[in-house]
Amino acid sequence: MWYNRYDSYFPKSRPRAAKGGIKAQSKRGQFGESWWAKRWIAVLESFDIGGRLSRGRSYARNGQVLNIHIDKSEVTAEVQGSRPTPYDVTIQVKALSAAEWSRLIKALSGQAIYTAKLLAGEMPQDIEEVFKEAKLSLFPEKSGDLKTSCSCPDYSNPCKHIAAVYYLIGEEFDRDPFLLFRLRGLSRDELLARLAAPEKKAARGKKAVVAVEAPPPSEPLPVDPAAFWTGGPLPTDAAVPVSSPRVSAALAKRLGNFPFWRGNDPFLDTLEKTYAAAAQAGLNAFLGERKGDSVKG
Amino acid sequence: MILLQGSVASGQFLLWGETPRATSRRGADTSLPHGADGDALRTALASALPSAPSIVEQRSAWLPTVAGQPLASSPLIADAPESPDAPTLAPWEVAVLPLPLDRAIDLLCACRGKETLAPGVIVGMSLAYWAEVLALAGALAAREQFLPGIEKREEGWRARWQPVLAGPDQQQLTRLSAAMPGACRAIHDRSAAPHQPAATVVADFVAGVVDTLVRSAAPANGATLPEVGKRGKGVRFDSLHDQWLHALRETDGTLRGSGADFIGLSRQVVNWQRPVLTAVAAPFRLCFRLEEPQPEGKNGDSQPWTVRYLLQAQDDPSLLIPAEKAWKPTGPTGTLLKRHGFAPREYLLAALGQAAALCPPVEASLKTPTPSGFESDTTEAFQFLTEFSQSLEQAGFGVLLPAWWTRTGSKHRLSVAAQVKSPKSQSGGLGIRLNEIVHFDWLVALGDQLLSLEELRELARLKQPLVRVRGQWVQVSAQEIQAALDFWKAKEDAQATVREVLHMALGRADTPGGLAFTGVRASGWVGTLLEQLEGKESFEELPPPEGFHGTLRPYQLRGYSWLAFLSRWGLGACLADDMGLGKTVQTLALVERHWQEKERRPTLLVCPTSVLGNWKKEAERFTPELPVLIHHGVGRRRGAGFIEEAESQALVACSYALLHRDLEHLAKVRWAGVILDEAQNIKNHQTQQARAARSLQADMRVALTGTPVENHVGDLWSICEFLNPGFLGSHSEFRRRFQIPIQAQRDPEAADRLKRLTGPFILRRLKTDKSVITDLPAKLEMKVYCNLTKEQVSLYAAVVAELERDLKRADGIQRKGVVLAVLSKLKQVCNHPAQFLGDASAIADRSGKLARLTEMLDELAQAGDRALVFTQFTEMGAILQKHLQETFGQEVPFLHGGVTRKRRDELVARFQAPGGPRFFLLSLKAGGTGLNLTAANHVFHFDRWWNPAVENQATDRAFRIGQKRNVQVHKFLCVGTLEEKIDEMIERKKDMAARVVGTGEAWLTELSNEQLKDLVALRREALGE
Repeated sequence: MWYNRYDSYFPKSRPRAAKGGIKAQSKRGQFGESWWAKRWIAVLESFDIGGRLSRGRSYARNGQVLNIHIDKSEVTAEVQGSRPTPYDVTIQVKALSAAEWSRLIKALSGQAIYTAKLLAGEMPQDIEEVFKEAKLSLFPEKSGDLKTSCSCPDYSNPCKHIAAVYYLIGEEFDRDPFLLFRLRGLSRDELLARLAAPEKKAARGKKAVVAVEAPPPSEPLPVDPAAFWTGGPLPTDAAVPVSSPRVSAALAKRLGNFPFWRGNDPFLDTLEKTYAAAAQAGLNAFLGERKGDSVKG
Repeated sequence: MILLQGSVASGQFLLWGETPRATSRRGADTSLPHGADGDALRTALASALPSAPSIVEQRSAWLPTVAGQPLASSPLIADAPESPDAPTLAPWEVAVLPLPLDRAIDLLCACRGKETLAPGVIVGMSLAYWAEVLALAGALAAREQFLPGIEKREEGWRARWQPVLAGPDQQQLTRLSAAMPGACRAIHDRSAAPHQPAATVVADFVAGVVDTLVRSAAPANGATLPEVGKRGKGVRFDSLHDQWLHALRETDGTLRGSGADFIGLSRQVVNWQRPVLTAVAAPFRLCFRLEEPQPEGKNGDSQPWTVRYLLQAQDDPSLLIPAEKAWKPTGPTGTLLKRHGFAPREYLLAALGQAAALCPPVEASLKTPTPSGFESDTTEAFQFLTEFSQSLEQAGFGVLLPAWWTRTGSKHRLSVAAQVKSPKSQSGGLGIRLNEIVHFDWLVALGDQLLSLEELRELARLKQPLVRVRGQWVQVSAQEIQAALDFWKAKEDAQATVREVLHMALGRADTPGGLAFTGVRASGWVGTLLEQLEGKESFEELPPPEGFHGTLRPYQLRGYSWLAFLSRWGLGACLADDMGLGKTVQTLALVERHWQEKERRPTLLVCPTSVLGNWKKEAERFTPELPVLIHHGVGRRRGAGFIEEAESQALVACSYALLHRDLEHLAKVRWAGVILDEAQNIKNHQTQQARAARSLQADMRVALTGTPVENHVGDLWSICEFLNPGFLGSHSEFRRRFQIPIQAQRDPEAADRLKRLTGPFILRRLKTDKSVITDLPAKLEMKVYCNLTKEQVSLYAAVVAELERDLKRADGIQRKGVVLAVLSKLKQVCNHPAQFLGDASAIADRSGKLARLTEMLDELAQAGDRALVFTQFTEMGAILQKHLQETFGQEVPFLHGGVTRKRRDELVARFQAPGGPRFFLLSLKAGGTGLNLTAANHVFHFDRWWNPAVENQATDRAFRIGQKRNVQVHKFLCVGTLEEKIDEMIERKKDMAARVVGTGEAWLTELSNEQLKDLVALRREALGE
């Protein structure tokens, strides 16, 4: 058996089977569909760590990553390796300073497209240009931008465990472009607030208004016999017309994949079948036709 | 009788009911005096759901209560107690049948639009209300307006599908919650009255139904999932997500595991759902308005089109706020925008970001900090009209386009029409068949202008999608120009049958090559035929046929001519005149004409058993020379004997039941025509009689019905397929092209197309039509001839035998008594066996008169009319009241001699009030004078007084000052019985009758024994089965 230079001290070991771990949606080939996810992954793949990349990918696909916790500029995760105890992985991304954020916010707020695209779940194409003009970089580039560690015995950093976590974060970028900003130190809401009012400094304490659960309102029954037994006039043809959707599961598709999906079945594909069947059942109920009504004599 | 109610408590659907009680229980008992018990509930439910749940609980219903007595929901159950006190709410114990939501959905589907589920099982208003709510939930599921979610209940966590209600759905929900009867949430703990707001109850129910609909429709769980439940609880999932996805698709939805995990999952779900929920919850939506260039532009076409961004209020679509005012909202606009905590800036940005992916010019516009729209040239504007606007609309954005674009039709587009050349040889005489081949050319037009080939090529060279013609924008796509050019090449030898041309002209043709099709232009006889069918040109009005006795009113002559016109062309016709306008005489005239003019072949008439006798009588009266055969009864002929007998007749009448049963024999006769009376009997195309009717071969096809068939889209196909096979396409095609678009999508265009297509074959005139009303007398009297059932026949025969025996023995005063008693008995038999036997036995299906009355009342109720029903017998009135209430699920007041004056005034007032009972029963003796019942425009005499003066006096109660409509009087009598005989006697000496007959029936006792025997003799035609 031939081992490459990096692996030679560690015979290839099979990881313990992990159940219910996070499963990458990508089943073969590239990770991440969006350019920004690919861009993020390119950073990892620029490290010369040989076979660890492909093993990291299969770890990510097979659900070896048991959980991922994302905080501002820090990601922690547990990865099931060959030992009984999962390894702890940490990925730290360097946060931007307050001054750097101010420069950036000013540049981003000049065009509506940046915020609009982010809110629509997309990373604006030329956002890297904006970062560059502000003498910053969106993706970790310099060695100080990205610090990774893993509790496994592999001396290589990044190791395959880090790679696996890194790939999965890449996939989550597809769904949530704000994640990159969070890793750079500004949450979605903070970023939006700053973009709306670029001249203001980070306004602390003004949290989003959380609706306080009012005590449930109460409404006594009508005593008047007519209101009690008959009620008001029913809206007649005001009912919203029903046309079959042209794209099935449009609402779910608009939201994209579920964050860090752990299921064995693909999330959106499975839902799509249910949506299509439900639309038919709904139409029958709307028309007042029961199952099998049409075949009765 | 049971009146069903539906309540929802803690998300559970609860069925309960009320039922009339002979004696009201009193005392400390808190159980609902008129509450239906568990057995009654189960029986009632079984009439709608074959395998219904049956576990019954006792619960408290909080009901309006006066003087210690709960108020019933309807006078059908109990009358309101007389008390000056205002009602208060009090809890009453009642049997309640909890239904799982999937069964509740089935039940509510069965209740939709119905007043009864079965005779005596009445759909209460609360149940009808939930059926209406189900429509909204069904619409949400049909439009896929739901997301998978997770929910914490008292019992634990559940995977659940959650409806997503956008603006119009939300409004509908609000309207529904305002209309909720209190009874819908009346079931609650004994300790406290229900207090959950209607809005919450209805929203929870909608959510529950959507969840159930999705869940029950979910395809069987994927093979990769573990086997569930077979060996108890041993199911293990690899992850929380596996369990969630699995639970979403099984009936229960329960999630098992640690709460902390589910809190985490629920946070993920909320995070995932957020973009949709914030967009949907927004009180505004982004709207795009395409604005035409100003025509005043100095150098013509260089003026740009504009697409403007606006915020449109969800609850008031006419409120549009330009985006430029929304970026930094101030003043009143700001206040308006910021209501409900709406953040216009963030919303606009998110919406524009989403729209940018669907419409590239939007993306380009986002280069400024506060975009308000974009400009485009004609090509881009066209792209916006045809492509972007659709994808934006589907994504939930508002799109406002110029009126000339959204107007449907082909006025401003390239279109083709067919120019038919009628063969000269035919001059429109007899013998023309619809299968004849005609030749035609295609014509190409732009707007109203016909185009030459040159002009078309010029358009193709222009390569402009929108061209301004005479100040109007007209769309021309390269694709359509090409299609038109292709037509030009192929137009040489187009040909089709007249029938196909008819299809095309009436709008059935699919547009060739994607081009708008504007119809058929034809000259000669084809042109005349088309114009006549479309009602643009009148058809020949015929004189009454030779041999027709009696006179046809002008509108009847038109109806007869119309029937003759269509049948001459081999087209089926549906005569759907209002009840009483004389469909029978118009049809008989048609049959007579056929018999006189064509080879003498028989016409088959299929009708309900209850009107067989009536047809025979009417034929005797109006077309006495026509040989008529009533094919019924056990002695009816079959096989060769039948064919021989039938082929010598002009009219052969049989019932729907026999149509199917004797089809084998009927199919062998060479029919000149087939006529279906009460054609709604074949509205369900899958029934055996519908199949049988369609299978018969005949040149002439006629359907008669008094119900507005055109209002029931689903029923139309079967009748039209009988009349004109293939005209509406296959049933599934019809469902796809018409029924679903009209019923589910409320598509007015589909409704128009259907009307164009079927209109030429349906003639429906109402009593109130101006053209009819002038022809009608204010009072229209009709005799309704009914048959006896087998049971009635044997009872009748027994009574007659008794009379013969008694006559031998009796004389003088005694004889008078015997005769009067027997006459009365015979009348009772003709009315109903239960009346004669006085045994409170079953009512349905035992009396020919009752069957006919029920059919006629049903028909007139559908037309919104109201009726008085008179009988001489209080016992018969009680039977009728029970039967009609159970059949129609509505109160039918009964005024008889035992009713107090106060109560009488109350009943009359209720009937006269708008929305009052549809039918009013009166015994002839009750309340002789002063009754004013002008709310009714039909009067039925269920049995006869044999005294025109008395009958007229009764009739006049509806026909009084204040009556603005025509009144129809229907006098029921049984053919082949003394009823018919006496009627004939009175008719013969009408003028004398008033003198001789006096005021009673005593004159009958003066008849000799022989005369009496002849009078009461039972004749063969009495039996209708």
